[in-house]
Amino acid sequence: MLASSARVFDLSFGQMLWSRRSIFLGLLLGGPVILATALRVVTAATPFWHLSINGTRVNGAALFGMMMWLLYIRFSVPVLGVFYGTALIADEVEDKTVTYLFTRPIRRGAVLIGKYLAYLASTSLLLVPSVVVVYLLIVPVGGGSIGETFPALLTDLGVLVAGLMTYGALFAWVGARLRRPLVIGLVFALGWEPAVVLFPGYLKRLTVAYYLQALVPHAMPQDSSAGVLMQFFREVPTIGASLVALAVITVVSLWSAARATENREYVLDQ
Amino acid sequence: MSEEAAPVVGTSHLSKWYGQVIGLNDVTVTVSPGITGLLGPNGAGKSTFLKLITGQLKPSQGEVTVLGEHVWGNPGIYLRIGFCPEQDAFYTRMSGLEWVTALVRLNGVNEQDARTRAHRALETMDLLEAANKKIGAYSKGMRQRVKMAQALAHDPELLILDEPLTGLDPIARRKTIRLIKEWARAGKNIIVSSHILHEVEAMTSNILLINQGRILAEGNVHQIRDLIDEHPHTVSIRADRPRALAREFLSADDVLSLRFEEDAVVVQTAKPDLFYARLTALAASGDLGAIHEVTSPDDNLQAVFQYLVKA
Repeated sequence: MLASSARVFDLSFGQMLWSRRSIFLGLLLGGPVILATALRVVTAATPFWHLSINGTRVNGAALFGMMMWLLYIRFSVPVLGVFYGTALIADEVEDKTVTYLFTRPIRRGAVLIGKYLAYLASTSLLLVPSVVVVYLLIVPVGGGSIGETFPALLTDLGVLVAGLMTYGALFAWVGARLRRPLVIGLVFALGWEPAVVLFPGYLKRLTVAYYLQALVPHAMPQDSSAGVLMQFFREVPTIGASLVALAVITVVSLWSAARATENREYVLDQ
Repeated sequence: MSEEAAPVVGTSHLSKWYGQVIGLNDVTVTVSPGITGLLGPNGAGKSTFLKLITGQLKPSQGEVTVLGEHVWGNPGIYLRIGFCPEQDAFYTRMSGLEWVTALVRLNGVNEQDARTRAHRALETMDLLEAANKKIGAYSKGMRQRVKMAQALAHDPELLILDEPLTGLDPIARRKTIRLIKEWARAGKNIIVSSHILHEVEAMTSNILLINQGRILAEGNVHQIRDLIDEHPHTVSIRADRPRALAREFLSADDVLSLRFEEDAVVVQTAKPDLFYARLTALAASGDLGAIHEVTSPDDNLQAVFQYLVKA
């Protein structure tokens, strides 16, 4: 199964990386880079100006932490997961190339896993450069040290990959099992998750964001309404529990998606 | 049944529905070794039949076996099958060689062997010169040939070719027909679908005629020719006095219709044997002038197809 998936990965990776979708999402990931560049230029041009949120002065590392959370973990990663995860097989069906994959001596589940691995690799390649560039631009703002915060960057990248894995698997299942997967995925990622994690109670456990936030290494700004909100927001499980939960969501979703793909008929438009 | 004795394809009461639409209706058929032509107009059910025998679709009812094995949910069977689909779909950013190699690798073949096999298949299909060119830059005929190359590269026992001659120029068409015959002589089983009858006729006399989701006829052309005797049969008679002949024919119960074409009368009869007997007698007597030529469009496969499809 793994050998078959690796072969599907070889076949799909280049196609996925250079697809129109990747180019579009690559441009989207350029947004934080443009924002970071603008901030860096402004702070360089006005040395006595300090960035503050609700009156609280924030340094580059804290700002990077906020950007990581709001722009990447809460927005870019779910959006990448939705757009790629729901389309793992759907793209092949739409392009009518699925026939070539499904008439080979490999299980359809292996095809899905191979394409999921290609998704992970290609989205990581899109996301990581954007994050690293933003990190290099933002952390020095206000005298922050790249050397000191570098371990946190590695943790951030790990969190992003964990997010891509979990969201990708979840939306692969949505794509394999449900109709209108893109709409459902976007409603879940950009509607349900942001709304539910703000409310107390158990409902937030039905989100991926709840488990991801425990892994975020950055301290949030404290003495502000945003800080209070963040603290409330960061009512989180332990790191161990989060990792287990993310792993369970990933494995169960992928297994279910593989099963659904095995049993589903794909009728191509003539 | 032992594997050796198993038919190439066997279906039993095979049906496929797409919601309320019937794609294939209660088809029981046995495909013998060699080349079999699957004939039918667009929308007849050819593609549904091929998708069922290639395991892309699950039967709604009935059973299908290929080379003695069930095919749905049995990916191992694809080591023995090569499928060339009808759709003009590719990974256009890959070269022909990269694409065929990648697909052969999915058969469990290592990179080097896959490349060798892909190279050989492209050579067979006269695509070696364009092997390193992106498929996106291929002509329609080249794309058709690269599809065939991926189907045969892993040397399958059964080749299933859906409209393989579409888009080929006359020379490539002739060569492909020759290749298909050679593969059959080399022991491969081939199922080839088409809606262009003279092309299939050039490859095989063993056909399955399909329309509206049903197999109308199966067997060789001659058997099917016998079948059509149960259907209205057209005869064109070129004679000195076609109108006199027409008057004579009108008195016979078996004549369903007639029309004139220049110096000929074209008759449709329900009982061709009786009609030919009477015509022979008329020609021999010479009472109604000379009869120069008697032809029947039913003698070629096109007419067989039209008769049975309309029936």
